[in-house]
Amino acid sequence: MKHKDMKQEFDFDKIGKQMPYNVPENFFAQLEENVMKEVGQTTEAESGSRQPKAKSFKLTANIIRAAIAAAAGLALFFIVQKSLPNEEPAATDDFNNVELAFNNLSTEDQDYLMEVYQDDLFMDSETY
Amino acid sequence: MTDDKDIIQAVKANANQGFKLLMAKYMEPVYWHIRRLVVSHADAQDAAQETFVRIFRSFDQYRSDCSFKAWIFRIATNEALRLLSRNQGKTMMSLDDTPAVTLGMKADEYFDYSQVEAVRLQKAILTLPAKQQLAFNMRYYDDMTYEEIAQATDSTAASAKVNYHLAKERIVKYMNSNEA
Repeated sequence: MKHKDMKQEFDFDKIGKQMPYNVPENFFAQLEENVMKEVGQTTEAESGSRQPKAKSFKLTANIIRAAIAAAAGLALFFIVQKSLPNEEPAATDDFNNVELAFNNLSTEDQDYLMEVYQDDLFMDSETY
Repeated sequence: MTDDKDIIQAVKANANQGFKLLMAKYMEPVYWHIRRLVVSHADAQDAAQETFVRIFRSFDQYRSDCSFKAWIFRIATNEALRLLSRNQGKTMMSLDDTPAVTLGMKADEYFDYSQVEAVRLQKAILTLPAKQQLAFNMRYYDDMTYEEIAQATDSTAASAKVNYHLAKERIVKYMNSNEA
């Protein structure tokens, strides 16, 4: 042994490798089990069982992206709507002017216009 | 006892089975190596577990120009130092630091105070600077060569030898003194 050459009063051989430390019963078996459990999880994750998780993550990410896009679109719609009020009175005024002009027409002229435009789909779609 | 070369081959062939062989050989030496440095059983358990997880995850980084035992003890030593640093609120303890571990501070229920001389020897070892502690422990308890100690502590064989002899001298001085 390497420590046999000690000539001093203290003799390492009297103690040897004894230590004042001990461990709980079955500790090393438990430790091995803990380690294998931890590295086993790593092995599984690395060997492909993580793929479905990645796929479902991708799917979730796409759903979130779509939801964000929809919310942004809705927000944009409301912002545009809010910016329109200046135009709406103008449109309403135009309509009132047309209505006023229509009322000023003679009954014959009104009947003629109604007959010409009542089936005009393009005009209807413009209204909506 | 399985030869290190066989363990390395076994891990390469089948990681889980090979790793079981590795643990069968090194679980206890690694735990006791860490325990001598950190003293508390709970801390040693944490560091030992982390050591083997790291060995498993970084097995590909092992290079055969280094002794396998030295590589394992290097990881174990780093884990022990990391744990001591965490306990002392430091980022990472260096081998030049003197670990501030005392038996009184860290002793727990898995400690046998009745072995008076063994307790004193551990106290003496814990007064040493980290490099001397490591050189002494690896040589005295784990029968490692100076070359292996050098590889595990990132030093030279000559330095490991000097640290071991300085450690022995200081331990003898401590044991011959009246310090309890």
